[in-house]
Amino acid sequence: MNFGFDRSELMGAFLEEVDEQIQLLEQGLLRLEDHGDSPEVIQSLFRVAHTLKGSSAAMGFEEMKLLVHKMEDVLEQLRQGRLSVTRQMVDILFQCLDRLQYIRNEVVSGGGIQTDTRSVIEALHNLLTDGVLTIVPPSGPRESLVLDEEQASQVDDAIEKGRHVWICEVDINPACEMKFARAHLVLRQLHDMGTVIATLPDLHHLEIDDSQVGQVTYLLDTHLDPDELDQTIREFVDIQAVRIKPFIRQAVGTVTAEMVTIDQPPSVPKDIKRTVHMVRVDVDRLEQLMNLVGELVIDQTRIAQAGKVLRDRYRTDETVGDMEQISHHLIRVVGELQESVMKIRMLPIEQLFNRFPRLVRDLAHSLEKEVHLELVGQETELDRTVIEEISDPLIHLIRNALDHGIEPVEDRKIAGKPTKGTLRIAASHQENQVVITIEDDGAGIDPQKIKASAIRKGIISEQEAEGLTDHDAIQLIYRPGFSTAENISDVSGRGVGMDIVREHIEKLNGLIDVESRVGKGTKFTIKLPLTLAIITGLLVKFGKHTYVLPMGSVVEIVRVPEEEINLVKGQPMAVVRERALPVVWLHDYFGFRRSDRQKKHLSIVIVGVAEKRLGLVVDELIGNQEIVVKPLGSYIGKVEGISGVTILGDGNVAPILDVVGVARLIDSRNAAAGHITV
Amino acid sequence: MENQYVVIELGQEKYAIRIHDVYEVIKMQTITELPNTVSFFEGVINLRGKIVPVISLRKRFGMEEAPVTKSTRIVVVNRDEEQVGIVVDGVTRVTTFTDIQPPPNDFSAVDVSYLSGIGHSEHGLISLLNIPQILMG
Repeated sequence: MNFGFDRSELMGAFLEEVDEQIQLLEQGLLRLEDHGDSPEVIQSLFRVAHTLKGSSAAMGFEEMKLLVHKMEDVLEQLRQGRLSVTRQMVDILFQCLDRLQYIRNEVVSGGGIQTDTRSVIEALHNLLTDGVLTIVPPSGPRESLVLDEEQASQVDDAIEKGRHVWICEVDINPACEMKFARAHLVLRQLHDMGTVIATLPDLHHLEIDDSQVGQVTYLLDTHLDPDELDQTIREFVDIQAVRIKPFIRQAVGTVTAEMVTIDQPPSVPKDIKRTVHMVRVDVDRLEQLMNLVGELVIDQTRIAQAGKVLRDRYRTDETVGDMEQISHHLIRVVGELQESVMKIRMLPIEQLFNRFPRLVRDLAHSLEKEVHLELVGQETELDRTVIEEISDPLIHLIRNALDHGIEPVEDRKIAGKPTKGTLRIAASHQENQVVITIEDDGAGIDPQKIKASAIRKGIISEQEAEGLTDHDAIQLIYRPGFSTAENISDVSGRGVGMDIVREHIEKLNGLIDVESRVGKGTKFTIKLPLTLAIITGLLVKFGKHTYVLPMGSVVEIVRVPEEEINLVKGQPMAVVRERALPVVWLHDYFGFRRSDRQKKHLSIVIVGVAEKRLGLVVDELIGNQEIVVKPLGSYIGKVEGISGVTILGDGNVAPILDVVGVARLIDSRNAAAGHITV
Repeated sequence: MENQYVVIELGQEKYAIRIHDVYEVIKMQTITELPNTVSFFEGVINLRGKIVPVISLRKRFGMEEAPVTKSTRIVVVNRDEEQVGIVVDGVTRVTTFTDIQPPPNDFSAVDVSYLSGIGHSEHGLISLLNIPQILMG
């Protein structure tokens, strides 16, 4: 079959749309759960379901269409006020959303649709039949609210002037003795809050008797929000339910309230112009572009260096001056080019953050805790590879915060805390790094309990535990084997512990820090490099060997008098800012000669990765430079302590130090010699 | 070209490498050492922006190290998709062999597994290097 267009491209567009709609549905459902029958939320959910139904039908995905169609039915009843939002309903809708996601994944993998949608469709169906019957009292066919021209123009006027026009449906208790009077009281109240354009039944007709008054619909022109209206109306006695929906204009002149239920064409997204200017690019092409820019960065440094040599040699030659100017310009252009290409690879962290509300909701439900999630800095951009890599560790930290951090409602009450715990996840840029914090106001990490648990699990001995400061005790959570089956709740579902979190962060050359106060809460701070391909490096010399330390791993540079370094169980240590710091002569591990010159002070670069800190004794500090990371290649394979190499301005190659590997190297030598681990 | 060989020098000995295996021959360069690597591994060089690992044939054959001279060369050979440099004392010429025989066990001072055969040429007999075996770690 030839449609005259590329089906795979169409498929790509479809999947992109599905992803977007699923995301919108999820956001909408979360809001629905929080805000209840908010007309806007229901309306937007309905619109999304409608769009999704259309596109899945067009692409021939019958299962998806049927499911969305049923969801749409339920939303439709919600919109009409025939159903009200219940926890059960939201749960079922979330389950539907999961099924949609499964179907989408099956569509991508191309192996046919296996997802069973029958059970959820049935649940939706039950929701419709049961819900409608119990919630809406049986009543005959309802009359429509018909507006005359004057009323219609009032509606237009209100909308034009930016006020709201709400349809307020009020259910009066059937057992109430004076329904008509109640309806009038509400009318009077609404008049105080705006202008009632029309009512159904028409309350100005005095012949109406109480039997005709069950549900009363008011069309209100006001500047107030539905929440305020809802609250006010509910204050009256004998009011059973209030539903507030936005009024949607159908045709000029006559408008009926019932018409709100007629399918709206999906509204045109506001950012349609933006999408037109987008180009979808294969990631591989971006990688290639990045590599080429990397080459340019190297050459540009080399040209600058060669220019300097030429200047010294032919000081008077004009061409040398020209060349220098060109070189300067080149540096600027390459710098901008590099930045632009990096920007293309950057994505807002929102992509990742968007998954958290649902995750937190589901976790909180299953743990029976109340959690308020705060997301800050969604717009913070970072390299897509970094986003992919950081996702699992973040999810794990969130699980931990909910599982072990935030206490059950009862405990929080006893502790005098608000019953609802707060989980705050924030991202921001700090210089060349991205900083992500995960902070809860839960129970905190108790160093004593950590010690006890570590002893029980055989991670440390009792003697070792005694010598640990609180800070060091908390660091034990990163040890492999610390998280064991007993503290993995069924919600986490997978046996990853903090050691895996640490490993991920190490892989990204990031840092992780934890601050915790018992009873107050815990805060994890993760610092990550913006990108992995081009990094800022600190050039140092060990003997005659030039090495690059990734700036992301450099915590601080200090000078320490040699006499302040003491051997502790075979390992030289210094105290810097009240923290014991292992001091390392890399010379001994890499087979370089230590400098013969005796210096009074040692230059020590404090490097860290994940939670570890080491002080490297360097012979010379050369300076910072943008460097392009080049892999060692498969022939050399892995060299412990080296993550790759780079080409310097003079054309020489310098190894890039891998701080994790260095720490491992030192640990294994120290262990062999019976010294302490660093 | 199939049976052309590059003849290299190592001390008093001469060896030949199939020209098909040779990527290029360059002069000695600054080699950046990498720590804790196998003994015959010299380090890496920058070959026009490409990082190329370099080994020493002398060290590989368990010979004494020799000072770098004007004639010292790095023979860059192909290994799968990558290149590896081999430091040799010198490169003399390109030659062809009239006949190639399997390496006899006691022909050379070098471990026979490093050789792939003996080539007969107008200049006499030359051992052919088994490059994959030599590169193997």
